[in-house]
Amino acid sequence: MNAKRLIAMAGTLVLAVLLAGHLSTAGGSGTSDAFDAVIAGEGCTSILVGKDASTDGSVMATHTCDCGTCDWTWRHVPAADHKPGSTRKIYHVSQYKTWPPSEGLKWDVYKKDFAGLEIPQVPHTYAYHHAMFGYMNEKQVAIGESTIGCQRKMQNPTPAAKLDLTMLTLLGIERAATAREAIQVMGSLAEKYGYGFHDDGEMLAVADPKEAWIFEICPVGPLWTPESGKPGAVWCAQRVPDDHVSVCPNESRIGEINLDNKDFFMASPNVVSLAVEMGFYDPQSGKPFNWKKAYSPVNGSAASTNGRIQRLWRFFDIVAPSQKLKPETPNMDLPFSVKPDAKVSVQDVMAMTRDRSYGTPFDPVLGIRGGPFKNPNYYRQTRVIDHGLAEYSTITQSRAGLPDPIGGIVWIAFGSQDTSCYMPLYAGMTEVPKSFMVGDHWTFSRDSVRWAFDYTDFHVQVVYSEAIKDVQAAQAKYETELVARIPEIDQQALALYKKKPAEAAKFLTGFGINNATTVTNAWWKLGDDLLVKYNRLYLYNAEKRGMVRGQPATPEWWKKAARAFDILMEPDKK
Amino acid sequence: MNKKIIWGFGAIAALGVSMLIAGQAVPKAGLPVLTTSAGQSTDVTTLNIVLEEAAIGYDYCDVPTPEILADGVGLGGRKSANTGFYAESTTDLAKYPAGTQFKTIIFAIGASLKGMGASGLTLDSEEARLKKVIELCKQKKIFVMAVHIGGESKRGPAGSDNERMIDAVAPLADYIVVTKDSNKDGRFTKIAAAKKIPLTEIEYALGLVDIVKQVLQ
Repeated sequence: MNAKRLIAMAGTLVLAVLLAGHLSTAGGSGTSDAFDAVIAGEGCTSILVGKDASTDGSVMATHTCDCGTCDWTWRHVPAADHKPGSTRKIYHVSQYKTWPPSEGLKWDVYKKDFAGLEIPQVPHTYAYHHAMFGYMNEKQVAIGESTIGCQRKMQNPTPAAKLDLTMLTLLGIERAATAREAIQVMGSLAEKYGYGFHDDGEMLAVADPKEAWIFEICPVGPLWTPESGKPGAVWCAQRVPDDHVSVCPNESRIGEINLDNKDFFMASPNVVSLAVEMGFYDPQSGKPFNWKKAYSPVNGSAASTNGRIQRLWRFFDIVAPSQKLKPETPNMDLPFSVKPDAKVSVQDVMAMTRDRSYGTPFDPVLGIRGGPFKNPNYYRQTRVIDHGLAEYSTITQSRAGLPDPIGGIVWIAFGSQDTSCYMPLYAGMTEVPKSFMVGDHWTFSRDSVRWAFDYTDFHVQVVYSEAIKDVQAAQAKYETELVARIPEIDQQALALYKKKPAEAAKFLTGFGINNATTVTNAWWKLGDDLLVKYNRLYLYNAEKRGMVRGQPATPEWWKKAARAFDILMEPDKK
Repeated sequence: MNKKIIWGFGAIAALGVSMLIAGQAVPKAGLPVLTTSAGQSTDVTTLNIVLEEAAIGYDYCDVPTPEILADGVGLGGRKSANTGFYAESTTDLAKYPAGTQFKTIIFAIGASLKGMGASGLTLDSEEARLKKVIELCKQKKIFVMAVHIGGESKRGPAGSDNERMIDAVAPLADYIVVTKDSNKDGRFTKIAAAKKIPLTEIEYALGLVDIVKQVLQ
């Protein structure tokens, strides 16, 4: 074997090892944990921003709905008054279940799964926008979500548990005028009627114009019955300090609790007793009760899992680099929330939802991971915030100082955040765009907004490092400029609202639908343009009607890596 | 006698037979016991928790093959792996040393494509696996108990994944236990009546605790 081949072999082996994730920069196994816990490591990320931590005083909550096979359709539910004695039917709504288009859309047919329970209806229910969860109501109560998992013994997939998480959020958002109220509504209903069935440990970011709360809820095991007299759920909520930001990346965030501090903590009556009963906490241990250690423990750190659970560390690294938190710190020891080094804007939050951990030890395009065109989707062993699997992402803004229908905004980006564009739906809108209401993963449709964004996303993948620049230019035009226009839209709506609130609702509805249509059309065209521009891996210039061979150029380091691999794979010469 | 009356008598007769069967005493089988899933839903976790509540040690394997079943208590020393294979043994080895043949196997019926995907199974391969495992049970006279505790909304329509799992296990069982809302349409009652299998209906999964105590001890 000659020296050239030895060097090539060594180099390729290093690359192969890197690819396999055996170095601390990437890969590795998922989080293991105390014996029986069930952890949801690949789901959604939810970010929370307190009112004094944002540049415009808004409270923000996000949800990257990371699934890959779930429903992405949206609905607006109008406000309603209900006669005394009327009831509200409860349905089992799976986060994952979809129906073929021939059977109907999810939000038209989910009522086939009646849970066999009708609960007393309240006199008035608020209007709201929802998709997989209730996201924003007309009182600016907003929700984001992240699955956290729970101890195995706590799971309750039996039909004794009548409430799933999706149903809980719909009930919370249709009945509550504040975040605290929403938490109490969801918590008390779950206690009374049992929580679980399709879901287990879950976190919700619950916000209003004043406060942001992390609400976490778990089932109480499959042997619970409503006749037991015991709560059918265990839950706890902690408020994010007003000048702080926090995040939930599929890990429980609430640690030690102080229920005497009612401005910052709420919980079900069994919050400690259940842990004692199930053997998750020993009061004689001398240690204070710790919610996450009892019910949803996670072992490991960003570094020890080779980036598998690096989102928590990465978020704090983005917002508060001055704190110099280390990726080696066990996730359970990272803070509940931090004061950001600088106040964050809605655009900063958009950028956070698009984060791919570039430049960190968990960079998905480090070395040859991303291929010649630095595509972060090739190497998914590192779990980054923008994982490319989102059905849609939401950023809710609840803004004091404006009437609720104008103050509340839910920004929605369909598909992968990096190639998508956030579009605002005001809380006061009385309908959502029709293209938001249709479509599924298995049938391409030009009527569905989601496919417009997937269409562009698909054409970006081939020459990612180049095509993403075209997308970013479109985002600057349709997203950045729109963010800048929001104060103007607010003022126009406010002027109408002062005369007649219904006029403001019409204006906001027209604005939201028109903007969504404009952006959707732009993304269909962007997909077309990318197909033409990077056709056959050359660079076509539509204006000059020319084509440049050899562009986009394959980088030299990639060619070297390919040659090294060839040499390694050559059969030994005899 | 018109058709309606004939159908009416038929329905009453069927109901009577099923009630007779449902009213039968809980059969006795004995330990050691293997718990498993037919369809890979999370209902098997509930089953395991039921046994723990009843203070009964058990072996658990999510996807036992005839070979694994034949290895008896301890499952031939197989360990859980990251490939979606789970094996666990809490059987009292002092009473039932490793290798002791199981006297009972309990299937928690419930189809989950997510669960099957995690185990690298398809509906067809899961059906084929169940068939082979039950064939071995019959050869070795291992008592087959089938439970369905997922309720009505996990039953699914005719021909659904879950229905295929029911067909794969319930008609071949020696004993069936179902929650009432899993049997709202009388599907399990009909199977039990047709195959003369004792059937017990329970309100909640909690009701299974006393039943497994009676069956296994």
